[in-house]
Amino acid sequence: MSVAPGAALEVPSVQAIEEEAPPPSIWRTLLTSLEGRIGIALGVVMLGVIAFGRFFTPYSPTEIGTGAAATGPSADHLLGTDHLGRDVFSRFLAGGDTIILVPLIAVTLAFVAGGGLGMLGGYLRGWPDAVITRTFDLLLTLPPLLLVLVVIAGLGTSRLVLVVTVALVFLPRMGRVVRGATQAVVTNDYVAAAQARGERTSAIVIREVLPNIAAPAIADFALRITYAVIFVSTLNFLGLGAQPPKPDWGLMVAESRSFISVAPWATLAPAFGIAALSISFNFLADALTRHLTRETAKGVVPL
Amino acid sequence: MTAAPAPQDAAVPPRPLDRGIERGSPVLSVEELTVGYVRADGKTNVVVADASLTLRAGHILGLAGESGCGKSTTALAAIGYRAPGSRVLKGRSKLGDVDLLALSTGQLRSVWGRRVAYVAQSASQALNPALPIGRQLAQPLTVHLSLRGQALRDRQLELLEAVRLPEPARALGRYPHQFSGGQQQRIAIAIALACRPEVLLLDEPTTGLDVTTQARVSALLRSLIDETGVAALYVSHDLSLLSTIADGLAVMYAGEVVEHTTADALRGRPRHPYTQALLAAVPSVHRPRAVSGIPGRPPAAVIDDACSFAPRCPYATNTTRETHPELRELEPGHWVRCLRAEEIEPPLVEERPLVRPAPDGRTPLLVVEDVSCEYGGFGAAVVVKGVSFAIGPAQTLGIVGESGSGKSTLLRAIAGLHPPAAGSIRLNGKDLPPRAVKRPRSVRKEIQLVFQNPDSSLNPRQTVGEIVGRPIRLFRDDVPRSGEREAVEELLDAVKLPRGMRGRYAAELSGGQKQRVALARGFAARPSLLLCDEVTSALDVSVQATILELLAELAEQFETAVIFVSHDLAVVRTIATRALVMKDGEVREEGETERLFVSPRDPYTRELLSAIPDLVAEPAAPTGNR
Repeated sequence: MSVAPGAALEVPSVQAIEEEAPPPSIWRTLLTSLEGRIGIALGVVMLGVIAFGRFFTPYSPTEIGTGAAATGPSADHLLGTDHLGRDVFSRFLAGGDTIILVPLIAVTLAFVAGGGLGMLGGYLRGWPDAVITRTFDLLLTLPPLLLVLVVIAGLGTSRLVLVVTVALVFLPRMGRVVRGATQAVVTNDYVAAAQARGERTSAIVIREVLPNIAAPAIADFALRITYAVIFVSTLNFLGLGAQPPKPDWGLMVAESRSFISVAPWATLAPAFGIAALSISFNFLADALTRHLTRETAKGVVPL
Repeated sequence: MTAAPAPQDAAVPPRPLDRGIERGSPVLSVEELTVGYVRADGKTNVVVADASLTLRAGHILGLAGESGCGKSTTALAAIGYRAPGSRVLKGRSKLGDVDLLALSTGQLRSVWGRRVAYVAQSASQALNPALPIGRQLAQPLTVHLSLRGQALRDRQLELLEAVRLPEPARALGRYPHQFSGGQQQRIAIAIALACRPEVLLLDEPTTGLDVTTQARVSALLRSLIDETGVAALYVSHDLSLLSTIADGLAVMYAGEVVEHTTADALRGRPRHPYTQALLAAVPSVHRPRAVSGIPGRPPAAVIDDACSFAPRCPYATNTTRETHPELRELEPGHWVRCLRAEEIEPPLVEERPLVRPAPDGRTPLLVVEDVSCEYGGFGAAVVVKGVSFAIGPAQTLGIVGESGSGKSTLLRAIAGLHPPAAGSIRLNGKDLPPRAVKRPRSVRKEIQLVFQNPDSSLNPRQTVGEIVGRPIRLFRDDVPRSGEREAVEELLDAVKLPRGMRGRYAAELSGGQKQRVALARGFAARPSLLLCDEVTSALDVSVQATILELLAELAEQFETAVIFVSHDLAVVRTIATRALVMKDGEVREEGETERLFVSPRDPYTRELLSAIPDLVAEPAAPTGNR
């Protein structure tokens, strides 16, 4: 721990800075933590299955009577058949898209709308904040499933309706997180400095506020995806989302659960699919949160 | 406790020195205390090395140093507290014949609060907001002394009277938030003294309090320590305060005690170059005095193969850079860790303020007339009440006041961040719109703002180049886009930062460097008026001095007028040519700095000035034995 002899007066400070290792990149942190590795590995496998599985189905996923009904695994049917004699493996390969697409789109929608409103409220304060916050509170009082039931009863089950209602469920929750983060950032003097420079509100929000709330917002986004995956599979299970005969994991669990003793894989395979997907997102969200909070503590987050 | 009843004077706490200990006899001796932190890679960072201190009954030992020098670590480790991750590597801390460092946590629990007490910096955080103070005061008394009923209540009242808390009987049922900051600290002191401890550890007990409150609390501490005979260790960054309140003084630098002597000897004739430099950096309210900062930055850990101060020392030689000096007794009772202590003399500090008065008589730059500011809507609190003043071009005006005096709000009103409720603000004869957004660009350019805390005023997601470059892009018509990078680099030169810092984030810089970046941003637009809001308050004294020097230099170079708001009168005297004293939103006194500080007219100004201890020994007092 010695300082080089003859070091000039300003030099030690500069040296001290340059000795500090640059903060690890986000990929590095994700890849070095166990959670991150599991999350990425599982996520890649599951996304691969969902995206490309449909091209490798041995049977048509909707074809009835490809074999005997409700059988266990065999050479012809790797995961057996369901109660209508459809090939479970084919249905499994083809049935993941709703569960990934609907949550992704819905949460993004909720993130943009809720986050935008939350940021507006947190930045403006006063009555706009009161209106926005009370609206969030109002939406939060509605039980999620009830909200979806009512909307779907009124508008029917299309993917669009599903996406919008799921987004509506997640909107106030994400909005509150963003508003809280914004409120904490707005009190900082760099915002006052920008106001004193006479900067436009949009410039202040984009340059001064947004980069500083990105960390908690992204962490929240990742976590909400997990919840949304489970929520959408619940809806599908309840028959509020995907409709038969479409292959869908949530729906498959619902349809074949009465036959679980004779054809267990018709229920277990889609259940595992849902679990694996949400676990991988959850692990990724955890690793991401840890990375972001650690770097924010130091004030630097490479994004 | 002896049978002797409490003296008639209720303010006098019970029986001093009733343990048969003589005043000045050693109570706690810390020997060769070495503390390290275990790093992630398993190695240990030594942060305190070979600290030896003796606390004596009825005496205050001041432990001084800048942030990160290890003073708090030393103090806490001395009473056996193990901070998370820290490890005592060597040493003893003997209270009587008990080594506190060898005790288990369970054993320490019976020592802490009873034989050793601790007063933390922030009473508002040390007190539990959910419990009335009577319960908090009762806790040590019931746990350690098993007091109950009337005896407990008597002792509680006795303690609150001893710390001069008004209405002790009613105070017992109140909650911490119902007391002022000074009163909270008095309560914390009462809790610490509850069990008549032998050792009292004070960790910056008055930092963060207003000047006048600070003076009262430290005077109270001195008299309580005299009366009870407790051996006190007073940790503070404030050398002027310590030199007046403490009996002995130890100065720490980079984890080592570099000088240790009596308070009188230290301010009379400091021997270590660091102590000398530190004293030269402290501004004074009592005389016109320049300050000079210490260049560079202290090492992050203890250095054991060289003098840790050598890279910043004006007297450094190849020998001092390669030899680790030991603490040695230069004169009886005066210990110094410096190889060249005999040869060096304290540097002379110029008896002049940093800023020379600008020629007056020109038309004023900014005129503030009858400005009032409020917070809240209906039934608003008026925080600035009809303030008027004017400042000429290139002049430096200091505004002093305690917290709540409205000085910062006034500054925000001028900056266009807080629209005044009444009154007018004119720049170059033209009325300023109340909000910055409504002001024309040419006006916004002329008024720039520097904030107290660079951690809050610099966006952590922007590089230094982006931060400093923004006002250039917005306001400097003489700089084309292609020249912005060069303009930023020139500003970094001006604030004496290496150009390479352009790409750095604020979090990677030290506190002083961050404030330099903030100054660079303030001057970037080439304003005619720079508003400075407590810009040195978050900094260490040696860094504060460099920032003050820099500000004075830049203001002169760019012919910028400066309004410098501060709670610190000494800083204002050093930097300002005119000064304004504010109290409760009103101007109490205004005048040339010299006149105002030498012959204050307003009683409040006099009170403020008398509250501040003078670091430099009085001319009448003997300075050393030569």
